[in-house]
Amino acid sequence: MRRGIWMALGATAGIGGALLVSRRASAASSAAPGTTPETPPTIELAGLPRAADVSGDLVRNWGETPVDLRPLLMLTEETARIRGASRVLAVIAYRESRFVTTAQNGNAAGEQDERDDSRTAYTNNKDRNPPLRYGEQAAEFGSGGLFGALAPYFLWTGVPEIGKKAPLLAAPPTLVFQPRAAAFGAAVYMQRLLSQYRVDDLADIKAGWANPGLLGKGRGGETYLSVRKRFLEDAQTVGIDLADVDTIPAKLDASAWPGVPAVFAGLVGALPKELS
Amino acid sequence: MTTDLRCYGDDIQGLADLVPDFDLRSPMDVESWYPREWQAIADTLGFAQQLAAAPRAMPTTPDRITAMTLVGLMAFEHALRAGRLGIPESQARVQSAVIQAMTTAGLERGELWRAMVDPTTLATGACYAEGGRSLRAFYPDTAPGYFGDGWSGPPPRAESACGWQTPLVLHLGTFPWVYSSRLGDTGPGARWASSASQPALEGLHVVASLLEPATNLRQDARQVAAIYRHFATHTAPLVAALPSFQPGRAEAGRLYRRGRFLLAHQGSLHVAALDGPRGRLAASAYNYILRRFASFFAVRRAALRALATLPFEVQRRAATSADPCLRQQVEGVARAS
Repeated sequence: MRRGIWMALGATAGIGGALLVSRRASAASSAAPGTTPETPPTIELAGLPRAADVSGDLVRNWGETPVDLRPLLMLTEETARIRGASRVLAVIAYRESRFVTTAQNGNAAGEQDERDDSRTAYTNNKDRNPPLRYGEQAAEFGSGGLFGALAPYFLWTGVPEIGKKAPLLAAPPTLVFQPRAAAFGAAVYMQRLLSQYRVDDLADIKAGWANPGLLGKGRGGETYLSVRKRFLEDAQTVGIDLADVDTIPAKLDASAWPGVPAVFAGLVGALPKELS
Repeated sequence: MTTDLRCYGDDIQGLADLVPDFDLRSPMDVESWYPREWQAIADTLGFAQQLAAAPRAMPTTPDRITAMTLVGLMAFEHALRAGRLGIPESQARVQSAVIQAMTTAGLERGELWRAMVDPTTLATGACYAEGGRSLRAFYPDTAPGYFGDGWSGPPPRAESACGWQTPLVLHLGTFPWVYSSRLGDTGPGARWASSASQPALEGLHVVASLLEPATNLRQDARQVAAIYRHFATHTAPLVAALPSFQPGRAEAGRLYRRGRFLLAHQGSLHVAALDGPRGRLAASAYNYILRRFASFFAVRRAALRALATLPFEVQRRAATSADPCLRQQVEGVARAS
């Protein structure tokens, strides 16, 4: 999930007016919106969920997905009520992080392009979104976490649906390294893709993950095709059979989405008081 | 009489203490200790859901430990059937036959934990046919690794149809991590399943049987202690280099040591690993293997303590064991009673 995501999702969601009002309200009460006001506090979310925390199957059609990450992926599927999401997210996590929860693109000298992307994402969108308490840090962060979220978009997760009540606005970008928070961002993002875009099949989800523009004007282009091809190869590498309809429907359906607050509560719980 | 394990080395008592002590004569202890061990095994090997769904009692046996073994193995079998088939049928059939043969011989010799055989003496030769070729059914594990310094052993007495140049060695006590190397996040033995044969089930059966007093006492614990010591020697510097886990001050994604075990804070133990001169060792494998050693000696201690209450045949075998430490303990029990 790297480029141009928020612009596309935000515009499609039609949140402009309401969001502008909230942004102004937030800005008025914040001393320095979008700046780095302080050293981020240490946040300790609950650890990885365990097998007993989910009811969905954790054995069939998971391939090489690490055993202790499967409950998190299944909890994401069950909380978001998007059947089949867990295995698709496993394939995405393999590509984006190789299942390393603290993977980061942007922290190495040669990853200036990722930092440029997060800077651009922040600069281009900060005026039409609620302020981020750690906006400047997010702008410099690049992307990271299990699902490769670009930091500013990760922190704005949920804004199209609930505006300034989005839960991560006051959180530092390093929160993406905590798997439950990363899963929350991924669940919301997947739901947005499925509900706002033309998603013809499972590989289209990965195309949208790379850039929602690929599901519109970019559809059929070189990048669109290569992202899809790589996704299908990744599924094979991980050992997940995308054609196993018992575990992954041919098309994912987000119509039972319970809403951002419910998904946040189910996956993350509550943030520390100072961040909420 | 005090039951202790110092005869096997000063470090072994501490190893056994890594898991809770228990009294085999206490039904309550047995009812809590064994399910906890099975839970730990299932969590690592990925069949916790099947274990939770399994019946709590087996009507076919009144013995609680045997019943729990059956429950655990049944749960593992369900998971194997639902999971990915890892090997061809022909290989699985050969593996099953070989493991059964090695288990029988290993039990007799008191060397079930690390079983070894000349593959050319087996009916199958430890070879299977695929695509017109004869292939080895197991990896020839004789290079230096975490369980041993590498040993090519006596060469097979006969010519092998599939190219065995060394003995076949399997560390069944730490199944599915059965080789001295290849200690990745998925133990090689976990893939031993085809549509009709589950050699993996036989592998886990060995792990389970070593937790049962009768089989535990038939194993020469000196072999287990020696392998443990090798494992500890080669992992200790790697573990010592890790920071100690402090709640509230840990960094997401980082690998810590908590006591003797490893903890991947906000990360996957299956992805985290120790990297040393003997190769990569997944953190999940490290914890599992260490716990297998600890559990073996915890059961040994409990079995010695309860020796007088165990069946006569078990006591007789213990009294005539090749393991001098065991014989010494048995004599002590006899004197005390």
